[in-house]
Amino acid sequence: MSEKLYRIVSKVFNVDNSKINDETSSENLEEWDSFNFYVLLDEIENEFNIKFDLDETLEIKKIGDFKKIFQKHRIDE
Amino acid sequence: MKNEENLAYFLNEAKTIKPRELGKKIRIAFLASSTINGFEETMRVKCFQKGIDCITYVADYNQYNQEILNQDSELYKFKPDITFLILDTRHVLGEHFFSLYSIPHQDRKEIVYTKHKEIQNICRTFQDNFDSKLVVTSLQIPSYSPYGISEGEDYGLKDVIYKINYELFNEFQRPASPKVFIYDFNEFVSKFGENNIFNYKQFFSGDIKISTEYIPKFVNELMGYVYASSGITKKCIVLDLDNTLWGGIIGEDGFDNIKLGDNPVGRSFVEFQKRLLALNKRGIILAINSKNNFDDAIEVIQKHPNMILKEENFACVKINWDDKVVNLQKIAKELNIGLDSMVFFDDDPINQEYVRESLPGVLVVDLPKDSSQYPQIITEMKELDVLKITEEDTKRSDMYLDQKKRKELENKVGDFNEFLKQMNIEVNVQKANSFSIPRISQLTLKTNQFNLTTRRYQEEEVLKFSSSEDKIVECVKVSDKFGDNGITGTYIIEKKDNDEWIIDTFLLSCRIMGRGVEEIMMNQIIEKAKSSGIKKIKGEFIPTAKNKPAENFYEKLGFKKEDEFWVFNTDNIIKKPEHIKVIKNE
Repeated sequence: MSEKLYRIVSKVFNVDNSKINDETSSENLEEWDSFNFYVLLDEIENEFNIKFDLDETLEIKKIGDFKKIFQKHRIDE
Repeated sequence: MKNEENLAYFLNEAKTIKPRELGKKIRIAFLASSTINGFEETMRVKCFQKGIDCITYVADYNQYNQEILNQDSELYKFKPDITFLILDTRHVLGEHFFSLYSIPHQDRKEIVYTKHKEIQNICRTFQDNFDSKLVVTSLQIPSYSPYGISEGEDYGLKDVIYKINYELFNEFQRPASPKVFIYDFNEFVSKFGENNIFNYKQFFSGDIKISTEYIPKFVNELMGYVYASSGITKKCIVLDLDNTLWGGIIGEDGFDNIKLGDNPVGRSFVEFQKRLLALNKRGIILAINSKNNFDDAIEVIQKHPNMILKEENFACVKINWDDKVVNLQKIAKELNIGLDSMVFFDDDPINQEYVRESLPGVLVVDLPKDSSQYPQIITEMKELDVLKITEEDTKRSDMYLDQKKRKELENKVGDFNEFLKQMNIEVNVQKANSFSIPRISQLTLKTNQFNLTTRRYQEEEVLKFSSSEDKIVECVKVSDKFGDNGITGTYIIEKKDNDEWIIDTFLLSCRIMGRGVEEIMMNQIIEKAKSSGIKKIKGEFIPTAKNKPAENFYEKLGFKKEDEFWVFNTDNIIKKPEHIKVIKNE
């Protein structure tokens, strides 16, 4: 699942896959801005067939946070 | 055509594209009452894909009033060609969006009045002060009312929006020569659905009123304005026959077994044809390019009971075993239109690829195998949009039919001069007026071949020229014994001083060229100049990739080359074609 998640992140932010890990955040990735984050949320929702609730979207600060939500929704790694 | 890409694609592409400093250029401004990130990026990329360099300006959030009303604003400095003002019902109604019924009928009436006046004032100010077109989105009709199924009140929640929209449409969208256009936002909503385009999470998080997933689709709806303003609109649809206009292969399945009409597959072709016929009636030329035995295929067109398109709807028919690319080139030549104003529909992916490779100007539709998608594909083509349907548009298909008959007479008579005599050509010269100005602008935007300077002018510019003391703007209406060709030629003269006039623009629709009308037009200019005491008429020829047919025009008429100009001394005379009757309505 990590692989799929990183692939989507790398596609949306248009950065190389190797630059993406669980610690990637708007703090350390220049391409991550407040607007394309919405696009990212949307892509992940579609690709993983999941709907985040508003609270969850506000908790996401780094890529690893997606995994926590996935676990909550019981999406297998 | 590529599949529609998602917003991430457009955001990333937008970072890499650079103006190419060639071809067409357009300046686009966005004003809005909500977050519109992603709009300008998507539009720039879409323009880039069509060979248009697009420069954008996005006004600060919710600043549209100041930007338009204050003449020192950045928007004025930007000098846009098109300005999009994206309004929305929540913003315009404010709290009333939720609680309109807490106020009495009379106050609700007042709301319609005030809100309409506010938008009207913005539009009118824009109209008076900008050279740009303004596209305003109409307001979305609320899909919910606290009244539920009993909603339907006079000046109720929906009625209030209907009424504001109606007033705006009536004042701005309807006139013959609009500068302010009202985009029917409810068309977009009904196409994609409110639950899709409006995402509460994104709205609460970032005041995003069109969800990120639907931004590319919305921008695509606006592209029609961009294509039409840039003059890259397509004029002609070229169609294959087997599995494109009917299901099956006539040469194999036979007349009785092709699918056209009363079965699921047949119905999709009937509907596709109905869409094409409606486009034909509003000015899109149709042509056929099919590999078939002529007799087999034409029999279907002439005799099949469910065939919607008739022979007379096709301006040019190529049913043969020749190469499809060669056929397309012949169609372009016979119809006197550029390959880049053609759309090609063919179900065979190999033909699609072949034409795409060989004739990059032609828009080749990525037609899927499933014919049930054909009607939707044709209704979603923004490349066919024009800003205003002119009288010439609605008559065009008849004109091409007349053209076919002219060709037949020409072939029959043999001698070209004799043919011209028999044509009874009449040229009506008239000063530009409010009816002809949209058409004159359209001619400058679309005419490529017989065009001496290829200067492109928007309606507002033509209007300005026509009311200027220093310019002459006239057009010619051409008819002959086969019918009326409408306004097909125009010229714009700049009165430089008391001795000299300069030809700014001189063009003739390619349908008419070569019959002496161009000589009549020049004669008209010379006579006018003479009677105004002008000694010299100067004209330029600005070569383009397409205007070779006009290259030797000045020389042929006795103009002499002086530096970059061609000059005519009005003491001389030019031969006037005698087969043409001239009527002046100046």
